[in-house]
Amino acid sequence: MESDSRPDSAHAELDAFDRILDEAEGHGSPSAPRASEERAPSTHEREHEHEHEHTHAHESTPSLSDFVERLELYRDPIACGVLAGLGLAGLGVFVVLRRAVFVTAALTQAAGLGVALAFYAAIHRGLEIPPVLGALVASITVAVLALGTEARLLSREARVGIAFVMTSALAVLVGTRIAQEAHDVSAILFGSAVLVRPGDLVNVAAGTALSLGLLALLHRPLAFTGFDPEGARVHALPVRALEIAFWAVVALEVSVATRALGALPVFAFSVLPAAAGLAVSSGIVGALSVSMLIGGLSPALGYVGAYLGELPVGATQAAVVAVSTLTVLGVARARRRR
Amino acid sequence: MNATERSEAILVSCEALVVGRAGRALLPPLDLTIRRGELWGVLGRNGAGKTTWARTLLGLERAVAGRVTIPPGVRRTYLAQQRELDAAYPLRVRDVVGFGLERGTSFLRRRGLEHRERLERALEEAGVGALADRPFRELSEGQKQRVLLARVHAAQADLAVLDEPTSAMDATVEREAWALLARLRRELGLALVVITHAHALVRAHADRVLVLDAQSVVSGTPEAVLAARSPFDAPAPEESHGV
Repeated sequence: MESDSRPDSAHAELDAFDRILDEAEGHGSPSAPRASEERAPSTHEREHEHEHEHTHAHESTPSLSDFVERLELYRDPIACGVLAGLGLAGLGVFVVLRRAVFVTAALTQAAGLGVALAFYAAIHRGLEIPPVLGALVASITVAVLALGTEARLLSREARVGIAFVMTSALAVLVGTRIAQEAHDVSAILFGSAVLVRPGDLVNVAAGTALSLGLLALLHRPLAFTGFDPEGARVHALPVRALEIAFWAVVALEVSVATRALGALPVFAFSVLPAAAGLAVSSGIVGALSVSMLIGGLSPALGYVGAYLGELPVGATQAAVVAVSTLTVLGVARARRRR
Repeated sequence: MNATERSEAILVSCEALVVGRAGRALLPPLDLTIRRGELWGVLGRNGAGKTTWARTLLGLERAVAGRVTIPPGVRRTYLAQQRELDAAYPLRVRDVVGFGLERGTSFLRRRGLEHRERLERALEEAGVGALADRPFRELSEGQKQRVLLARVHAAQADLAVLDEPTSAMDATVEREAWALLARLRRELGLALVVITHAHALVRAHADRVLVLDAQSVVSGTPEAVLAARSPFDAPAPEESHGV
């Protein structure tokens, strides 16, 4: 067993994760993985667990008043989701406009790989690397490799595809080496959205503050460089520096949000609200506003929905974003027809 | 104008400039000088290398040989062909014209009254004031080109390179657009390089003409270059730069 050689911090991190999941189960949180299963379960086993849990976790049907009573317990994960939704939905407008939606998916997987490598280094090599730093370094590396080079051999889409497959596979492979004693390798690498670890809320708040600051300061030049890149170069705008700054902030926000909430909701918050905002707005500021409104509200609604329906939080949040987006697109289409 | 003033008025010098793609020359070597306030018409068949030449002039592409010299501080602006612009961006007309006012890291500064006045003036001068709050992507192609000319006005550059800026306009609007360009040249001292197929308008407005094709490049006054022959005929030896 490898666990004897773990440094204290790696132990502490995994133990903290266990405690959070235990706490979640004890309070009847929506779809918290159960603490009694110790080995990293297969997907089939996890699905079975969730089905079992949905049947037994709550003795009576959860109600909104129960939720309000326990709001203190859920405040941090909801705040984390709302902040991540705001930041990702804002950045997502330019991600979608730059036709780089799949980059976000690759970054979420890279963040998971970074976390896995940080744990691996701590457990097997005795190197102390904060998991969030591992996530950040891996995401920025993938962003640079996928977007920053002018390789003629492969298109950007092909590079992003390779990065996605490699990071996804490696995250799972490395994850199996660190999670023998943990509940769920996926939840450790990508977060669970049920309850957030201490520090996740701070990291997400900092990432979102940086994202919104970047958008407030640079939305005009980002629009110019995207709309007419050569015109912007002739006007001596620092086109390359702007792209690097933008993708670095995307990598940061995706890293901290993925670590806290999981890959699926992060990808959903990055893409869907932006699609709705761009469909209904005739200006960049309008698109940002609509996108951030959907991105900010959906995580909270999703969390409440998951509690009431005893559903997995991340998937419910993603579903709420999808439904909100489709509703906005439907309204926009109906208005155009009139 | 004395010799010093003339020299100071030079905005672009091309010396034995060879343009091309992937290291392969498209055109013969070219020597050329563009001065403040001049309007150059650039003619040539499709695929002759007009856009490549313009992009090399602006430093967007590397020269195959020779060099382009632009003195420091010369403010440039460029209108690419419309298909190079990303129509997915949700921008209002005033946003697009406002891009003309951005230069270097100016976006870090607060936009004041002067910025707004320049923007409004550019919109009005180009005749697109009524479209200011319309979405750019919903305009007709001709309207879009007028908006882009407003952007040139807003830029208050020393040198503007425009790639087929009136190709989607009807004849009347095209004449108005060329009149606007002539006024910009006169009022702002702007040097204009206009890639176009509108020979008659080049003849009417341009000071100098450059005709490009794979075998030769010809430059001179419109009278000298266009009057005697079709621009695609073989050039007179004294005006040409042969292969």
